[in-house]
Amino acid sequence: MVFSGKYSIVGVGCSRFGKIQGVSTMGFTLEAAKRALEDAGLGRDEVDGVLVLMPAVMGEQHGWASRVASFLGIEPTFCATMDLGGATACAMAQTAAAAIEAGYCRTVLCCFATQNWPQGVELRLFGSEFQVPYGDVGAMTFMAHLKRRQQYEWGYPDEVYGTIAVTWRRHAQQNPEAQMRKPMSLEDYFASRWVVEPLRLFDCCPNTDGGGAFVVTSTERGRDLAKPPVRILGAGQSHSSEIIRPAGASDSHWGGKKAAEQVYRSAGVGPTDLSFAQIYDAFTPRVVHDVVAYGFCAPHEVADFVLEGNLDFGGRLPSNTAGGLLSEGHLSGFGHVREAVRQLRGECGPRQVPNAELGLVTGYGGAPHEAPPTVSYSALVLAR
Amino acid sequence: MFVLEKPLPRPTEDSAPYWEAARREELRLQKCQDCGHVRFPPSLLCPRCLSERAEWVRTSGRGTVYSFIVVHRPQHPAFQPDAPYNVAIVELEEGPRLHTNLVEVENSEIEIGMPVEVVFEKVNDEVTLPKFRPRRTENPGER
Repeated sequence: MVFSGKYSIVGVGCSRFGKIQGVSTMGFTLEAAKRALEDAGLGRDEVDGVLVLMPAVMGEQHGWASRVASFLGIEPTFCATMDLGGATACAMAQTAAAAIEAGYCRTVLCCFATQNWPQGVELRLFGSEFQVPYGDVGAMTFMAHLKRRQQYEWGYPDEVYGTIAVTWRRHAQQNPEAQMRKPMSLEDYFASRWVVEPLRLFDCCPNTDGGGAFVVTSTERGRDLAKPPVRILGAGQSHSSEIIRPAGASDSHWGGKKAAEQVYRSAGVGPTDLSFAQIYDAFTPRVVHDVVAYGFCAPHEVADFVLEGNLDFGGRLPSNTAGGLLSEGHLSGFGHVREAVRQLRGECGPRQVPNAELGLVTGYGGAPHEAPPTVSYSALVLAR
Repeated sequence: MFVLEKPLPRPTEDSAPYWEAARREELRLQKCQDCGHVRFPPSLLCPRCLSERAEWVRTSGRGTVYSFIVVHRPQHPAFQPDAPYNVAIVELEEGPRLHTNLVEVENSEIEIGMPVEVVFEKVNDEVTLPKFRPRRTENPGER
């Protein structure tokens, strides 16, 4: 038991998000930060820690976190820019709790934003000298290899991936903020064009401009704030530096499995205790990977597990209840943290999981598009 | 007509021997002189034992297809005229896996496990890209 619920997420917020040009990355960050503080009922003078995720498409932005703090008029005693891509949100909650435990600060604002059409900065091309010359550019190619290996090793039919996308889209229809709300059927999934075969368009999340934020402080302090604190019961992460091994089904470093062992051990719970999960899903094969890594079922059971509706409301583990990255939008996992907190507070209206007590959030990111591809896994168990 | 050029490697101290060998139509990788591990991508240290002692050994040029994908929507516009094109990961006999393109084969005919051998595609006087085709010679590395 590392923190055992001693620290909590006490406020969550997102900026406007979707396809929004003409707003700066900083603008989105500040908007999200302010909403998270308002949600918590905290003044900025009560924040003494600031953590910010480095936006991937910005190029070099030195001192990003302290600049965010400066624009908020905060002079923190603990400040750091983090860079684990989509694994950052969960890892950031863990870092925030650790910093408070260490006595560096008492209340940490965690935030992030991205603008896919940045002004005044040079866009970098993702990928290395050993990949880009072959037209192997971006995260999608790596994820296409992941799907290829999963299907090769375990024979998962395309219906599994389609069902994940369709289920999330249905959830998004109960989320007025979701970026992709148009109804989608399995037929629509199969009719969607190849992007990078075997990935179809609907295996991929949309690009999203916008930001998210949350606030971490002690659970004791959280009890006096605007909303009930949501306890960080456990956290886990693991990082792989394996060289060109797209995490297949059996041939895989199973980084997520290590993070899973750590998050469950520190929380003192197991996968069958969970009320819901928010699974990092920039691409559908990511979900398939985590369903196995986080112990929902064995690799050979994935197809049945998904096709029987176990990730849907009423199933064994309702997941990505706001629509996930695939339909709510890609907020690098901050959307997942926000949705988990809202579920545990019982704020989700028509998409509320009944009696939600314990939720898993997973994160995934890093540089799968650089040589060697490196990936980071992170996870939180949050409790009412 | 405006032609968008494809990005080419800009070798570093670490990678220059790899690209120099490719120019001579040799596929060479670093081999640790302490633990014998053959590694890729090139680096100062052996990731297995942290030794700095390495030699550039010529590989067999033989491998098998570990994975392959077909890019329909390239993330870089210079590759658009080639789409749909394949990107494969080839597992060399020596162990390391390389991202590459498979040539002299239809995309629909590619299979995981397919034996392949290296061929060299000269782009200009500086750059030659190692690519792979279905295996047809006994010792492609010795040609």
